[in-house]
Amino acid sequence: MSLLSVEGLTISTDGRALVSDLSFAVGAGERMGLIGESGSGKSLTAMAITGLLPRNIVASGSITLDGQQIIGASERSLGQLRGSATAVIFQEPLTALDPLMRLGRQIEEPLRRRYRREGLDPKAIKNEVLELMERVALPQPERIAAAYPYEVSGGQRQRVAIAMALACRPKLLIADEPTTALDVTTQAEILKLLDSLVRDLGMALLFISHDLPVVANVVDRLTVLRNGKAVEQGAVRDVLGAPKNPYTRTLVEAARAFDQALGRTP
Amino acid sequence: MILSVDHVSFSYTRDRQVLDDVSLTVQRGRNLGIVGESGSGKTTLLRLLLGLNRPTNGTIRFGEQALDTRDRGFMRAYRRSVQAVFQDPYSSLDPRQNVFGIIAEPLQSLDIAVPHREAVEAALVSVGLPPDAMNRYPHEFSGGQRQRIAIARAIVARPELVLADEAVSALDLSTRIRIVELLKTLGLKMTLVLVSHDLGVVASLCQDIVILERGRIVESGKTRQILDNPQHPYTRKLIDSAPRMPA
Amino acid sequence: MSAVAAIPARKSRRSWLFAIGLILVGINVAVALLTLVWLPYDPSSTAGGRLEAPSLLHWAGTDRLGRDLFTQIMIGSRIALMVGAGAVAIGAAIGVTLGVLSAFATRLLDDAFAAAFDILIAFPTLLLAMLVVAASDTASLWSAIVALGIAISAIVARLTRILAKRVIGMDYITAARTSGTSWPRIVVKHVLPNIWPTLLVNFALQFGLAVIAEASLSYLGLGAPPPNASWGRLLQEAQGTVYTAPFGAIAPGLALLVLVIGINLSADGLRDIGDPTRRGSR
Repeated sequence: MSLLSVEGLTISTDGRALVSDLSFAVGAGERMGLIGESGSGKSLTAMAITGLLPRNIVASGSITLDGQQIIGASERSLGQLRGSATAVIFQEPLTALDPLMRLGRQIEEPLRRRYRREGLDPKAIKNEVLELMERVALPQPERIAAAYPYEVSGGQRQRVAIAMALACRPKLLIADEPTTALDVTTQAEILKLLDSLVRDLGMALLFISHDLPVVANVVDRLTVLRNGKAVEQGAVRDVLGAPKNPYTRTLVEAARAFDQALGRTP
Repeated sequence: MILSVDHVSFSYTRDRQVLDDVSLTVQRGRNLGIVGESGSGKTTLLRLLLGLNRPTNGTIRFGEQALDTRDRGFMRAYRRSVQAVFQDPYSSLDPRQNVFGIIAEPLQSLDIAVPHREAVEAALVSVGLPPDAMNRYPHEFSGGQRQRIAIARAIVARPELVLADEAVSALDLSTRIRIVELLKTLGLKMTLVLVSHDLGVVASLCQDIVILERGRIVESGKTRQILDNPQHPYTRKLIDSAPRMPA
Repeated sequence: MSAVAAIPARKSRRSWLFAIGLILVGINVAVALLTLVWLPYDPSSTAGGRLEAPSLLHWAGTDRLGRDLFTQIMIGSRIALMVGAGAVAIGAAIGVTLGVLSAFATRLLDDAFAAAFDILIAFPTLLLAMLVVAASDTASLWSAIVALGIAISAIVARLTRILAKRVIGMDYITAARTSGTSWPRIVVKHVLPNIWPTLLVNFALQFGLAVIAEASLSYLGLGAPPPNASWGRLLQEAQGTVYTAPFGAIAPGLALLVLVIGINLSADGLRDIGDPTRRGSR
């Protein structure tokens, strides 16, 4: 049984289907990339998996996460899954963090939840916050823990967001465009960080992005979304090496064209 | 030589130096890429080139003349020759103007004596949009199409130079490559200065390149040379960080 | 760009309320216009019996002097609309101008402007009205309009300043500058049209507040003197006999309620008027 199993997922609003009949699975420790451009429904899929779709958007089909059905589940059971089964990292760290709360406290929150859940001694929380910050390679953890989001850089904020996600010890990490708002050198660092963390902690990863080269280097399998439908799925090697769908082919060619300009392709 | 930047420095306040002793030239027919990340001063440099701010030190020259933002007549002539395309297609078009009004604005404000309707139509066609788009409003178009409208606005006055500030960064991959293709064809008729952090895009469009780090130029020269043989560690870091497809 | 944010809100319920609001306001306007050519009774005629309950002869009854109340209320709607419209017009003209100017002012001047607006807003409207009345020597329709106009201008100025600043920070303003457009032209062509919808809603709400404020002023004797029959004054006159002849207070009170509810209901719908993003599809 896969950790995350999405079957025939359809997300619609006002009679319009935003995602149609989407199916894919992510096993424990596996990495799946969801590639799609704006309007493809990729972010909605992430919201559906965590049961966070707004009221006027309805999901049908089946999403099982850690053995539990998400669609139609009560807020209570979803609350128990969030954090332990899955945690999300969003695109814009400035809006994903509470601007009025110090960063250390923001990392504490999910930690506190987990400690309560696992019956651990809350006195160890402060230390674990610093440990987590070191894990995500934040320099001067004490200083940053006392700082507010606007006082640190975009890359540092995203590291804090990753620390918050890790604090939950999730089985599945969902990253929704985690590096799109970052500079290219920061992006490279964050991608490397995510790669090593996911590997060291044995988490599963669902990486959502529109940027093909970025995703391709972090995941093993790809699902290509277009207008809410999966147009191609498979191992990264196969999808990029021999794309069957014309849309996938345009994306691959575009990415390779830029690579060539840089002087990369052999 | 269209533009030359001679030892330009800029700071907003006394302690924060945004640009420090920056010098570069823009040659006619050779697109220039200004590569930098956030905090590099690239946006400020662009604003100086657009005459929106004055350098605290140094001069910017347009041809032989020094850029004087206070001289209205000069700025008028300057703006006829130098136009801009901005990064965010969702905030660079006035939502309450129709496409005709948006594209025709430079013609109106700079008193350019051509029949406006024809000029706008020609601009729309050059960017691959249908002429009837002029009656519609920005919200009816996608990001890529809006960027085309922004480009149409930049070229309608037939400028010599187009300054593009991260013109494709906010676009999806498939749209990005199409807009880059468009800019390539337009670049045949005018010179392009592209400010970007994306080396792949810059390499596709610009023959010359300048690397900006924390307000200083750390490396400059022909794009091919710099990419094949980077000298400065920051340049190397930029090249290594650029996401590339697995082999 | 979140796909979630692109889903449009449901509009059907809003148009319902907007329509009701417009009808209520429309009724008032129609009545006010009617009073210019016809009235059921001569407003100063005290022929009717005193404090008569509403009947077929006198739809709202009569006041303590025997005058027909319905006629008084009809005239009152004209007063309410005139003061409301006059105050909003003055407030808008002064407020928008000052607001736009302060949005362009340098840091120091802008702070001074902002402080001035805030002080004026904090100033009690009634006190302001009393000062204006004292300055002009008599209470009159104009003193009420001017006093309320000043109070409104401060609120409008503050709002305009914030809205204008936000618009000025947008890329399309920078694009207008690089297109060679002069600042005054940018204000007219880009800034005003973009802040206008929000301002319009605010004007409508101020209109409702002005109507209530005028009623309060008249109630206190600071508003338009007789024969101008403001609803506020009618309420004040009915005070003494409110237990024996309640309709004397209910009628003008109801009229006030209907007009202000109508204004508030239609206020929100005003934003959509002239907004190109509401029509056409993506």
